[in-house]
Amino acid sequence: MVGRPLFVGRALDRAGGFFRGRALCLGLVLFVGMGSGPLSWAASDSMVDPEWKAYSRVSGVSGNLNSIGSDTLNNLMTLWAEGFRKEYPNVKIQIEGKGSSTAPPALIEGTAQLGPMSRHMKAKEMDKFEAKFGYKATTVPVAVDALAVYVNKDNPVACLSMEEVDAAFSKTRRRGHSVNLGTWGKAGLDGVWQNARVSLYGRNSASGTYGFFKKTVLKKGDYKDEVKEQPGSASVVQGVTEDRGGIGYSGIGYRTSGVRVIPLSATKGETCYDPTFGNASAGTYPLARFLYLYVNKAPGKPLPPLVREFLTYVYSRQGQHIVIKDGYFPLPQRLIQQQLAEM
Amino acid sequence: MATRIKKFLGSGTLFVWFCGTAVAASVLLVSGVLLLIMINGLGFFWPHALVELTLTDGTRVLGELKGEEVIPHSETTAFPEGKTRVKLKIGNRDLYGLDFRWVDTERVVSADTPTDVIAVERREWGNFYGRIREVRRGGEHVASGNEDGWTALVPLIDHANALHDDVAHLQRDVIGDVNYDIERIRLKLRALALQGQDDPVRIAVLEASLQALERRYQEHVDVLRTLSDRLNEYSVVLIETNGRELSLPVGHIVNALRPNAMGLFEKIGTYFINFWSVLSQEPREANTEGGIFPAIFGTVMMVLIMSVAVVPFGVLAAFYLREYARQGLIVRVIRVAVNNLAGVPSIVFGVFGLGFFVYAVGGTLDTLFYPEALPTPTFGTGGILWASLTLALLTVPVVIVATEEGLSAVPREYREGSLALGATKIESMIRVILPCALPGILTGLILAVARATGEVAPLMLTGVVKLAPALPLDHHFPFIHFERKFMHLGFHIFDVGFQSPNVEAAKPMVYVTTLILVMVVILLNLSAVAIRNHMRKKFRSAAV
Repeated sequence: MVGRPLFVGRALDRAGGFFRGRALCLGLVLFVGMGSGPLSWAASDSMVDPEWKAYSRVSGVSGNLNSIGSDTLNNLMTLWAEGFRKEYPNVKIQIEGKGSSTAPPALIEGTAQLGPMSRHMKAKEMDKFEAKFGYKATTVPVAVDALAVYVNKDNPVACLSMEEVDAAFSKTRRRGHSVNLGTWGKAGLDGVWQNARVSLYGRNSASGTYGFFKKTVLKKGDYKDEVKEQPGSASVVQGVTEDRGGIGYSGIGYRTSGVRVIPLSATKGETCYDPTFGNASAGTYPLARFLYLYVNKAPGKPLPPLVREFLTYVYSRQGQHIVIKDGYFPLPQRLIQQQLAEM
Repeated sequence: MATRIKKFLGSGTLFVWFCGTAVAASVLLVSGVLLLIMINGLGFFWPHALVELTLTDGTRVLGELKGEEVIPHSETTAFPEGKTRVKLKIGNRDLYGLDFRWVDTERVVSADTPTDVIAVERREWGNFYGRIREVRRGGEHVASGNEDGWTALVPLIDHANALHDDVAHLQRDVIGDVNYDIERIRLKLRALALQGQDDPVRIAVLEASLQALERRYQEHVDVLRTLSDRLNEYSVVLIETNGRELSLPVGHIVNALRPNAMGLFEKIGTYFINFWSVLSQEPREANTEGGIFPAIFGTVMMVLIMSVAVVPFGVLAAFYLREYARQGLIVRVIRVAVNNLAGVPSIVFGVFGLGFFVYAVGGTLDTLFYPEALPTPTFGTGGILWASLTLALLTVPVVIVATEEGLSAVPREYREGSLALGATKIESMIRVILPCALPGILTGLILAVARATGEVAPLMLTGVVKLAPALPLDHHFPFIHFERKFMHLGFHIFDVGFQSPNVEAAKPMVYVTTLILVMVVILLNLSAVAIRNHMRKKFRSAAV
């Protein structure tokens, strides 16, 4: 099939001139796989559960709400706050997101009523909370995040097992992969990729994502020294976009057109799964995790009305739509109902 | 030959060349950085053309062209330079999941810039690119088809935007006022309870006014609801280029354009409207869209508070060091210490500000004056005052050094003349020496402002937040609310650049914010320079 290059060139010249000259040498039109992600992921409809209840306002809700904690949840909290304030214009919400570890002290001191965390509270933190109040802090899962492993959009690697990811990032290789994954040839690529170095991007050690990846993928092994630690999830994705041999991990919400998400398998030889909503909720994708809000709830006593309504909002249709909008996955309806019943 | 080289070196021409090169390199670097920011930032406001590509598999892609690159290692005999691909901003995030897409040029069968496509800026989910199928009012049909739909939609959007302004006014000003009063009465009640006063009359009066306020709040909220319902009265059914439908309430539309049908002047007009809306509007969608007004406001206000704090402090210290203190070892040590202070990393100042201002001073203020609000801290948490004071500490060495320079340049005859005419030391200092040293002091202030505006690290510890619910300045007494948290352009850049999930779409916002930060620094500096020049003219005789 011979293309119609001149027409393409002319139209695009008019549009912006990016093609100029190049389009003229367009010859054969071939079908070659393209870097754009499967469109089906986008379909937010597939994640929407018709059983989600729309949020209904109650009277007597007002005051200040302070949230201190995770930076992963910072955007989500801000979006929820924007939405919640539409329902209650008399509520003031302040959000600080400087890391998951800032949440427990804020809850203990009472400077915040909500403590968003991208990981579980550590036993030590929980003990301190219990020492002050006599009961444990309440864990409220609010969204599902799938940690994705990103490669450059040109990287043809079809699938990686957890052992291979471990062998790429870790110097201890606790998952027992026989060789160090130093070049892409070791992951089964050939041609120009055979000797291309695997260039690693990760998060800084203050991040909850760093800890989660270390615990789940590296089995608490050590990261290689050459992992380029980035100050934010978005910069990991940016790094991989610019670096053709790059590989990095970040939440699925940070996906852009410059990177490819690799399907992962739990062990070598098994089927690989994309980090989709379906795979994350079915448990087949190995790197799914919950995101939490911690609140101070005395046993047998109801939550303060403002906190209760905020959580109800998060669990409502509006709240879970915001989760999808921010790129995370909504909670399964069963869990939402269970949580609402407990509240 | 050797003598000629010697002569050349001796003449100093070489040195002049060195100096010239250094200046040229500096100018080149600064203008290069500015140019980079401007190229990336200023293009953001331009209504770009929309391109519709038809691919070999029959599907279509509609969007703005954002770039082109050669696919690496794709050189073949037919393509000696390699194949290419283009990046398009396709928008429609709720339908596609991503705002951007790469398309191989060899898959493109035809490309066109149809004049009937519209670009819709939405309040949620980013832009939509496509066409109109139908405009509806509730279940009723109003107009159908792209052309009629467009004619019907344009006035509806203007109407919806006016409604939005009403809603914003009601929410922020009217309801905001009621809330402010309610909060104050509530705190008064708590304070009474804490003090153990149970004067029933006073409590009853307060509670009655609280109830009256709450009734007023309820009335306003009812009005708000009707307004919001009217916003969603009309909706428009849009179709993306492959025919998928999307229904959108007109209230969710910020504006809609037909960029391909616009003339040059229309585009220039839109450009300035877009620029102004970024400057004047509040952010949307967790700061990745909308405007940056609160951040500009916070930055300027913080710098002003800092200037008010740093100038008297620095000038007094410099006066003492230069005019009163006996010059000796101790003063020399202090000078060295001051100079070293200027080299301390800013994060150290941040930690100091957090520990000293926020926890120690703020915490004490809270227990003494705001016990009714505890455990929610008033001053015991980061706020604009603490951030400004921390920055004042950070920049005080600059002001001290510059003021000392200014003082040392005041001719000795002035002091002696003044004293000889019978003025006391303090009089001659205030009337004669200070005015002469003012240009020097203002130079210090300019340097301090330039440094303070760019700092982010100490602010993150002492009061900057991603989204502040209210500006630190409003019409409620005492007008300036020192305890409030604020937004800052520098932090905005960090937050949007490193933390936002949709980093591709947010990238122009980073450049725009950087550009505006640079503009704010330049404006602040220019005004200080203008004041200094005015002073210089006034005290021309001073040899400064």
